[in-house]
Amino acid sequence: MSFFLKRAIGANCHLGRVILNNTKVPTVQRVATKTDQGTPQVETRPTVAKIDPLQKAQLIDFGKYMAECLPKYVQKVQLTAGNELEVLIPPDAVIPILQFLKDHHNAQFASLVDIAGMDVPSRPNRFEIIYNLLSLRYNARIRVKTYTDELTPIDSACEVFKAANWYEREIWDMYGVFFANHPDLRRILTDYGFEGHPFRKDFPLSGYVEVRYDDEQKRVVVEPLELAQEFRRFELSAPWEQFPNFRGNPATEEVTNATEAKKE
Amino acid sequence: MAARQAIQVGTKNVRPVLSLNAGEARARVLNLYKAWYRQIPYLVKDFDIPKSEEQCRARLKEMFLNNKHVTDIRVIDILVIKGQMELKEAVNLWKQKGHIMAYFKPTEEPKPKDFLSKFFSSNE
Repeated sequence: MSFFLKRAIGANCHLGRVILNNTKVPTVQRVATKTDQGTPQVETRPTVAKIDPLQKAQLIDFGKYMAECLPKYVQKVQLTAGNELEVLIPPDAVIPILQFLKDHHNAQFASLVDIAGMDVPSRPNRFEIIYNLLSLRYNARIRVKTYTDELTPIDSACEVFKAANWYEREIWDMYGVFFANHPDLRRILTDYGFEGHPFRKDFPLSGYVEVRYDDEQKRVVVEPLELAQEFRRFELSAPWEQFPNFRGNPATEEVTNATEAKKE
Repeated sequence: MAARQAIQVGTKNVRPVLSLNAGEARARVLNLYKAWYRQIPYLVKDFDIPKSEEQCRARLKEMFLNNKHVTDIRVIDILVIKGQMELKEAVNLWKQKGHIMAYFKPTEEPKPKDFLSKFFSSNE
């Protein structure tokens, strides 16, 4: 790592309030790119994406800044897979956090890429709702995670992002998480009359019903499906390793708040 | 409009789905029942189903009474929301005849209860 690069990172860390800033002096920014690094290090894992230390430092700074700005709502800030910033928030903070990320001048995450759901039945709040945001202005991405259970409604993000409408309908359909104040919450992927939420872990692979054409009725009929008990055991862990490239990768690093670190 | 204040379910304070107390939830259930009840003549006509209005009303009552054991306000609310969505699908003719007739399950055979009928129905 060159002297300039170290200086650039150091300077960036000290900036504190000015983060994700691309209005820096161009020379400083240019020497920090990967192509200009002095001694090429021996590549041990050439197929794995390399982590840009400058970008990582900026993300860490932004995470700290966000935790300072919204201490009531941000529960935890972490980096996963080396350079993916994640913000963990309680379910009633969805609207303020997304509004902040969209409208704050140093964030400008104006584009909602996706809303995802996750089901972990062993947790007290079994569902995770994950918002993926993209800032075109700063070429940065952020992930906002919150949690809920089957009965607790989550505020709809439609008033902040118009794109949330269909994503939330999808999550309602697949997981059965109710979104409060959604303008048009109804099914989007399943057939009319479909019962159950297919992405829940306790939903059987075959479904609860089967659909067939009945010659006497002259129409399609729905009948409950009964499977022998042997088929209902779910082996969720695969016998082989799915992502060997990620074996030695840093899993999750927590970004501690600057002020809290000083107190300790 | 989802209310902001918390309601008590069991020992926990939780965020309500729609209703704040059991009376409100009950009113919602009755409203949904009435809405379906009033829609039945139109459903019979629009979907051209081989059922009379009386049969439809009996089935409607049966389906509501299937859930009469539910006491949690939030579960009632979610069920009402789902029923309201189903009603909307039927009213707007998004559903088809087969979807309406699926409520009646004419091809479904009742499960064998006593030993002999279990024996006759078994394939093994």
